[in-house]
Amino acid sequence: MIENGRISVLQMAILVYPTIIATAILLLPAITGDQAKQDMWLSPIWASAAGFLAVFLAIRLNNRFPDMTIIQYSEVIVGKFLGKAIGLLFILFLAHNCGVTLREYGEFVKGNFLEDTPLAVIIGSMIFICALAVRGGIEVMARSAQVFVPVVTVLFIVVLLLLIPDITPGNVQPVFKDGIMPSLKGATVAAGWFLEFFVIAFMLPFLRNRKKSAKWSIITVVAVIITMVVTNLVTLFIFGALTPTFTYPVMEAARYISIAEFIQHMESVVMAIWVGGIFIKISVLLYITVLSTAQWVRLSDYRPIVFPYAFIIGVLGHWSAENVQELEKFLKETFPIYALLFLALLPTMLLVTAAARGLRSQNTDNRTSSDASAGKDRSK
Amino acid sequence: MKIISIILTAVVVILITLYEWPSTNEDMKKERRTFIVLTGGGFLLAVVLIIFPNLSGPTEFVSWLFKSVGGWMTGE
Repeated sequence: MIENGRISVLQMAILVYPTIIATAILLLPAITGDQAKQDMWLSPIWASAAGFLAVFLAIRLNNRFPDMTIIQYSEVIVGKFLGKAIGLLFILFLAHNCGVTLREYGEFVKGNFLEDTPLAVIIGSMIFICALAVRGGIEVMARSAQVFVPVVTVLFIVVLLLLIPDITPGNVQPVFKDGIMPSLKGATVAAGWFLEFFVIAFMLPFLRNRKKSAKWSIITVVAVIITMVVTNLVTLFIFGALTPTFTYPVMEAARYISIAEFIQHMESVVMAIWVGGIFIKISVLLYITVLSTAQWVRLSDYRPIVFPYAFIIGVLGHWSAENVQELEKFLKETFPIYALLFLALLPTMLLVTAAARGLRSQNTDNRTSSDASAGKDRSK
Repeated sequence: MKIISIILTAVVVILITLYEWPSTNEDMKKERRTFIVLTGGGFLLAVVLIIFPNLSGPTEFVSWLFKSVGGWMTGE
């Protein structure tokens, strides 16, 4: 097998949690608030259905093909040619997604802290560190996540606690002013983030013990829901209807913190949270992109292509948007459908086809005819 | 200015190659080929983007694609 490292289910959960949360806590409150208004705290709960769907699909597919990732089993399920085509599209999607995430990081740091630094330097230094982590393999990434995630979580809780003196819980009213629809509309964007839970499909084959994978994946989804709901509530309590006017509401909220004129400038803590979280997120995305490519061309080792890939992702990050407004527009309008297509519809199609043809890992030789039911779709 | 950017990009690509090439050996033909394609492709893309910075990116392409398909499906 291409990856010799093995991780535990807990390590998988610790890797996936920041992969969803890192960008979500900063960008989502504003985007959700734009449509859901004062019901924005409900949106993550609706959107979590997408997270459960992604986990369900990843685990079900993994049950059928325990030692394979989507790149490998798509070839088994729909035949070599179609499988390769799906794999290539998936790799392009992953690379683009990684580039967009890198750009989100670059725009955030440039917009808030390092105004005069060229974007290429900010992006380049981040992708270089991530490439080093990825080159170390999944175990190294899991261990670095074990170091970062607890620190990031504690710091985040500290920021939220320090915001308590400034909150106005009345901002949440009137609940359901225009019915349930605004919160559902706000949920579409959050659903895109929840669909990223499908990244576990690339980690399940490398688990030491797969028995508790479903349980821990669900715990992770719940942890993400709680984090998103709390974040949205806190920004809503502080800014009310103003939330959508900021790009990074949590950041702006942290600027408000001033306790006894001594504890101030907490935005640097938010920055630390973000950098720690996004490091894990970009590492995971880069890792699955590199791994997918290595499996797609059937390499014996993925390590030689990590740095070239990191370079390409860096260029893609630079290329993926003109400015932060364009990036936000993409995340708001296109990303939900984009993610739905690749992280839900495509896996559903593969799972239905595999089930219809009764394919499992042992009869890998049976890849002659592609089934007519490939086009069939199934909702949750 | 553009020349300097291109030279810097070339330096990065050469450094990557110098660092990673020795980790492959004669038998790893496929690995070497993939490495060359990815590194060369990345370098070309970077150079093209330095010369034409306003080239439409993948994000615009995806947005355009979904918009056209959406428009086609709703009959607009």
